[in-house]
Amino acid sequence: MEYNIDEEKIGKVYDPKLMGRLLGYVKPYRAYILTCILLLLIITFLDLATPYFTKVAIDNYINGLNTPMYLFKEGESPVEGIGFQGKVLVRTNQIHGKLDKPVYQIIGLNGEYYLIKGTLQNYEGTSVSDDMGITPALTDFSGRYVLIRSGGAEYPGIRLSDEDLRVFRNYDIRHVFMISILLLIIILLSFLLNYIQVYLLQYTGQRIIFNMRKELFTHIQNLPISFFDRNPVGRIVTRVTNDMETLNEMYTSVLVNLFKDVFIFIGCIAVMLSLDARLALISFAVLPLVFASTFIFRNKVRSAYREVRLRLARINATLQEDISGMKIIHIFNRQKRQYENFNNINLDYYRANMRQLTIFSIFRPTIDLLYYLTLSIVIWYGGGNLIQGSIQFGVLYAFINYISTLFQPISDMAEKFDIMQSSMASSERIFMLLDQPEEPGDVHTVKALDRISGKIEFKNVWFAYNGENWVLKDVSFTVNPGETVAFVGHTGAGKSSIMSLIDRLYDIQRGEILIDGVNIKNINTKMLRRHISIVPQDVFLFTGNIKENIRLNKDVDEEKVKRAARYVNLDGFIQKLPRGYDEPVMERGSTLSQGQRQLISFARAIITDPEILILDEATSNIDTETEALIQDALRKITQDRTTIIVAHRLSTIQHADKIFVLHKGKIRESGKHQELLKKGGLYYRLYLLQYSDRNNEAVSP
Amino acid sequence: MREFLTLKDLFIKYRWRYAVGIFWLICVDSVQIILPRFLGYITDSFQSGGLTERSLLINAFYVLLTGILIFVFRYLWRMYIIGTARRFEYSLRDKYYKHLLELSSNFYNTHKTGDLMAHATNDINAVTMALGQGVVMLTDSLFLSIVTVAVMFIYLNKTLTLMSLIPLPAMAVTASIFSRKIHHRYKLVQDSFSNMSDIVQENISGMRIIKSFVQEDNEIFKFIEANKDYMNKNMSMVRLWGFMAPFIQTLSGLGFIIILWYGGTLVINGLLSLGDFVSFNMYLGLLIWPMMAIGWVINIMQRGAASMQRLNEIFHIKPDIYDRKVIDMDMIDGDIEIRDLTFSYRPGLDPALKNIDLTIKKGETLGIIGKTGSGKTSLCNLLLHMYNVPDNTITIGGVDINRILLAVLRKNIGFVPQENVLFSMSIKDNIAFGVEDCSDEDIIEAARIAHIHEEILEFPDGYNAMVGERGVTLSGGQRQRVSIARAIIKKPGYLIFDDCLSAVDTQTEYDVLTSLKDIIKDCTTIIISQRISTVQNADRIMVLDNGMIAEYGTHEELMKLGGLYYSTYQKQQLEKQLNEMD
Repeated sequence: MEYNIDEEKIGKVYDPKLMGRLLGYVKPYRAYILTCILLLLIITFLDLATPYFTKVAIDNYINGLNTPMYLFKEGESPVEGIGFQGKVLVRTNQIHGKLDKPVYQIIGLNGEYYLIKGTLQNYEGTSVSDDMGITPALTDFSGRYVLIRSGGAEYPGIRLSDEDLRVFRNYDIRHVFMISILLLIIILLSFLLNYIQVYLLQYTGQRIIFNMRKELFTHIQNLPISFFDRNPVGRIVTRVTNDMETLNEMYTSVLVNLFKDVFIFIGCIAVMLSLDARLALISFAVLPLVFASTFIFRNKVRSAYREVRLRLARINATLQEDISGMKIIHIFNRQKRQYENFNNINLDYYRANMRQLTIFSIFRPTIDLLYYLTLSIVIWYGGGNLIQGSIQFGVLYAFINYISTLFQPISDMAEKFDIMQSSMASSERIFMLLDQPEEPGDVHTVKALDRISGKIEFKNVWFAYNGENWVLKDVSFTVNPGETVAFVGHTGAGKSSIMSLIDRLYDIQRGEILIDGVNIKNINTKMLRRHISIVPQDVFLFTGNIKENIRLNKDVDEEKVKRAARYVNLDGFIQKLPRGYDEPVMERGSTLSQGQRQLISFARAIITDPEILILDEATSNIDTETEALIQDALRKITQDRTTIIVAHRLSTIQHADKIFVLHKGKIRESGKHQELLKKGGLYYRLYLLQYSDRNNEAVSP
Repeated sequence: MREFLTLKDLFIKYRWRYAVGIFWLICVDSVQIILPRFLGYITDSFQSGGLTERSLLINAFYVLLTGILIFVFRYLWRMYIIGTARRFEYSLRDKYYKHLLELSSNFYNTHKTGDLMAHATNDINAVTMALGQGVVMLTDSLFLSIVTVAVMFIYLNKTLTLMSLIPLPAMAVTASIFSRKIHHRYKLVQDSFSNMSDIVQENISGMRIIKSFVQEDNEIFKFIEANKDYMNKNMSMVRLWGFMAPFIQTLSGLGFIIILWYGGTLVINGLLSLGDFVSFNMYLGLLIWPMMAIGWVINIMQRGAASMQRLNEIFHIKPDIYDRKVIDMDMIDGDIEIRDLTFSYRPGLDPALKNIDLTIKKGETLGIIGKTGSGKTSLCNLLLHMYNVPDNTITIGGVDINRILLAVLRKNIGFVPQENVLFSMSIKDNIAFGVEDCSDEDIIEAARIAHIHEEILEFPDGYNAMVGERGVTLSGGQRQRVSIARAIIKKPGYLIFDDCLSAVDTQTEYDVLTSLKDIIKDCTTIIISQRISTVQNADRIMVLDNGMIAEYGTHEELMKLGGLYYSTYQKQQLEKQLNEMD
C-alpha cells in the first residue's frame, strides 16, 4: 500500500516494461498510427524526390546544352527529341545504352555556338576555322560550315544562329518549366499530407492521453479514503495533470517521428547509393564518427541535464523553505548566512547550467563540423569524378542537398533523449498510482438494498488507522430504526471515526458493523452509501452554483431542490441572492456564512431522503437568527430517520433518544441526558467542560 | 522593452560579454554567407573547364576550414551569449532573493509563497530566455537576412533575387500572424488546463463528501467534460500550428521552385552562370530560418518583458521596516514598557491590540493567557519589531524600540514561535541557527536544557541528522523543543515563548519548564500560553481578551478575582481530570 516516490527521480531513457504498457494505450489507435507512418513514408519519399528532380533539371536541361545527341530521322526517335532542320536530335542521357547512331554536340566557344559531329570534352586548345572547303556531306546539317580542331582531331560542324540556338534553348526551358510544375505539385501534395499527418498524429496523441487521464481519474475515484489521508493532494493532482502532459509529448514528438527519422535516414542513403554508389560510400565514411560522437555525448548530455534538474529542485526547495520561514530568519538575524547558503546553491545551479551549456556548445557544433567534413569530402572526391566526367554536375548538387537532409535527425537527437527520459519517469509515477489497490468493493455483494429500516449495530468493533494505535476499542452499540442518538466525548475520543466507519470509508480490523442485520462488508459500498447521508462539520462546497451544490446529482429536478431548501429553512436566504438558486458559489463558498453553509449541507443530505443521517455539528458560533433556523431544520430532518449526531449543542443532546459517551476509544456511559447528569460521572464533567457556558442556551442541569 | 531597465546595471556589467558574443554570432553568419560563393565558384570553374584537381583540393579545404570556423564561432557565441544569459539568471535570482530577505512581515502576509515561487522560477526563466535565445535569434535573423539579401542583390542577378524573395515576406507575415494567434490559443489551452487541474484538486480535496454521497460517477462525468475541453482546445491549436510549419515549408519550397524555373531559364539563355544558380539556391536556404524565427522572437521577447514586469512589481516594493534614526548601541537592557499601544495590521482593520499599558520589570517573568485571536502573538510581533509601532509606545530600558538597531534588538531576544519552523539542515545547525560561532558543547548544553538531548542521540546520525523530507521526521513536540534550544543558545537577555509548549504533554511541559527555570530567572521572560499550568508560576500574569488587558496580577490574585482566569483554570482542571480517567 505504500505509495511514495521521489519526485525528482530522473529515469532511464528507455524501459521496455514501461514502454510495453505505454504502447498498450496505443493499441486502439493502431490504424491511425499506421496511417501516420504510411503518410510519413510518402512524405519522406516526396521530400527526397525534390533534390532528385532538381538534379534532373540541372543535368538534363539547365546544363544540358553540351550533352552529346544522337541523330534520328523525323519520326524515328524512340523518345521526344529536339527537332532541328527536319531531323531529330536526342540527348544521349535520355537513352539507355549505346546506339549505333551519329553523335552531335553543341559547344560554345568565345560567345559563339557550334553544332559539331562527334563529342568534345576539353575545349582547351580548340580552334575554329570558317567554311574551309567543308562539304555538306561531312555533316547532316546545313548552315555556315565550320571545322573545329582540338587535340589533333577535326570536327566538322555548323555555326548556330541565334534562332537555331533558340530551338535548343526552348526545348530546355520547356522542360525546366515542366519540372518546376511537377515540383510545385510535389510540395503542395507534401503540404497536404504533412498537415493531415500532423493533425492525425496529434489527434491520436490527444485521444490516448484523454483515455489515460480518464482511466487514472476513474481509478483515483475508487481508491480508499486512507490513500488520500497518506498522500498530499498536490502530488495526486500532478499525476493527472503534468505527468500526463509529458507523456503526450512522448507520444506525439518521439514515438512516430522516430519512424520519420529512420525513413529519412534510410531514404537518403538509398537515393545516394543509387545516384552514385562510390561517392555515396565515401560520404558515409564520416557517419561512424557521427554515431560515435552522439554516443559519447549522449551520456554527458544526460548527466549534465540531470545535474541541472537536481540543482534547480534544490533552489526551489530552498526558496520555498526560506520564504515560509522568513520570519524566523529575520528574528534570528540569519539574513547574511541564509544568503550565503542560497548564493552557494544558486552558484551551483549556474555552474551546472554552464556545464550543460559547454557540453551542448561542443556537441551541436561537432555535428555541424562533421557535416562540413562530409561536405568537403564530397566536393573533393565528387569534384574529381566530375572532372573525369564519371559523374554529372547535378549528382554532385543532389549529394550536397542529401547530406544536409541526412544530418537533420541527428542534431535533434539530444532533445529526443530529454523527452524520453522525463516521460519514462512520469509514466513510472503514473503506473505506480494506477497500481494502487482500489477500495474493497463488490466482491461479496449479496444484498441489493432497496429500502432499509435503518438499524445500526456495532459488535465488538476494533479500529485503528494504522498499526495497533487503536482508535476504537471493543465498541458495541445498537441504534434502532428512527432513533436519534448523540455521541459525546472529548477531542480524540473516536466520535468522528464511528461516523466514517458506518459509511465504510475505512474497514475495521475486528468485530462487525451491521446495517439492518447485514454486515456492511457484504453490501455494495456505493449502495450502502446511498442510504446514508453525512453532514460534516466543515461543509465542503463545490465550484458551481447553489442549486448544484444542493442536488449534487444531475438528475434531480429543480423542484425537488427547492422543496429540500424550503424544508431546511434555506429558501428565504436563497431568495435574497441576486441570482437565487443559480447564484455561483465563490471560492469554495467563502462568501457564505457558516450557518448558511450548514443549511446547504442539510438540504444536500436530505434531498435523497436517506434512511440514515450522520451529522457532525459545527462547533463555531453561529449568529442567533441562523441558529434558530438550524435548530428548527435539525428537528425536522432528524424526524423519521435513524440519526447519529456528534453533538456540540446542548439542545441537540437534550433531544436525543440516547447519548453515548465515548472516552479514549471506548463507550463509557450511555443513557438520556438527565440520567447521565445524575450519575455525576464522565458525562457530567464533559457537560461542565463543553456545554455549561453556552449562555445563549438556557439550560438547567 | 522598458521593463528591462531594472537590469541596467547588469547590462552595463555584461556589455562586453554580450558584444563579444554578438561578434562571434556575426562571424558565424558571415562565414555561412561565404560558403555558397565557394560552391558557386567551383561550379563555374568546372563549367569553364578550369577546374583542376589542385583547385578542387584547395576548395574542399576551404569548405572544411569554413566548417572548423563555424564550429569555433558557434561554440564561442553559445558560451558568450547564452552563458551571459545564465549569468543574468544567476544575478537576477540573487537580486530577487536579497530583496526577499529585506522585505518585512507585512509583505509576506499579503503575498502567497506559491506566487513568490512562481516569480523565481517561471518569470526568471522567461527573462533568461529573452536575454539568451531571444537575443541570439534577434541578431541572427536580422543580420543573416539583411546581409544575405544584400549579397544576393549586389553580387548576383537582381531580378532573380527579387523574384526568389517573393515568398519571404509572406513567410514572415504568416509566421508573425500565426504566432500571435497561436499565442492566443495557447492561452486558451493553458486556461483549460488550469480548469482541469482545479477540478482534480477540488475532487481530491472533497473526496470524503464525494464518497459519502456516492458522487464518483458525477465527478468522473465532470472530469471527462474538462478533459474533453482540454483535448479540444489542444486540437484547435494543433489546427493552427499543424498548418503553419508545413505552410512555411511550402512557401520556402516555392522560392526554390522560382529559382529553378526562372534561374534555370536564365542559365539556359546564358544570362546566369550555373555557379550563381547554385549560390542562389544555397542563399535561399540560409534565409528560411530567420524568416521562421521572426514569430518566435516576438513571442519570446514579449513573454520576457511581461515576466520582467511582474518581477519589477516585487522589486519596487520597499521594505517598511528598516533601521532609521537609530542609536548606536549593541545591547539592550532594562524594563520593557508599553504605553497606550494600539495596533492594527492594516489601516481599516479592527485593532489587534487596544490601549495596552504594561511594564515588565527586568528579570521578571510575565505570563500571558488568552484565547486564539486575543492578540498574544501580535504583542510578540511588535516586541520583535516585525511590524511598525508608533513612536514611544514600546521602550526597552528607556529606549524607543524604533531607535534600536533591528539586529541588536533581535540578537538580544530569544524567541520561540508558535509554529516551529525548522530548516532542512542538521539538528545541530538548526539549534545554532541564530549564533555565528558556537562550540558543540554549547549546542548540547542548549539541547539538554530544552529536554531534547536524549532524543537527538537516538537519531541515526545524532546531532548531524538532517531535518526535513530527506532526513528525520520530528514530532511536533520535538520540533518545539529544538526551537527552544535554538532560542536559548543565544544567551539572550529577553526570552519570549509564544504558546510553544502546546504540542507536548503536561509532564514534558513540566520537565522543560523546570530545566528552563535557571535561565528564565536570569532573563526578562514572556511566556504565552493557553494553559494555565504553563504560566501560573510567572511573577505577573496578564489575561488578554479581544486585544485588551482583561485581567492582570499574580496567579493567586487572579484566582481570587473569579473572572476569566478563574473559569479557564476550572475548565482546565476538569479537562485534566478527564484525561486522567481510564
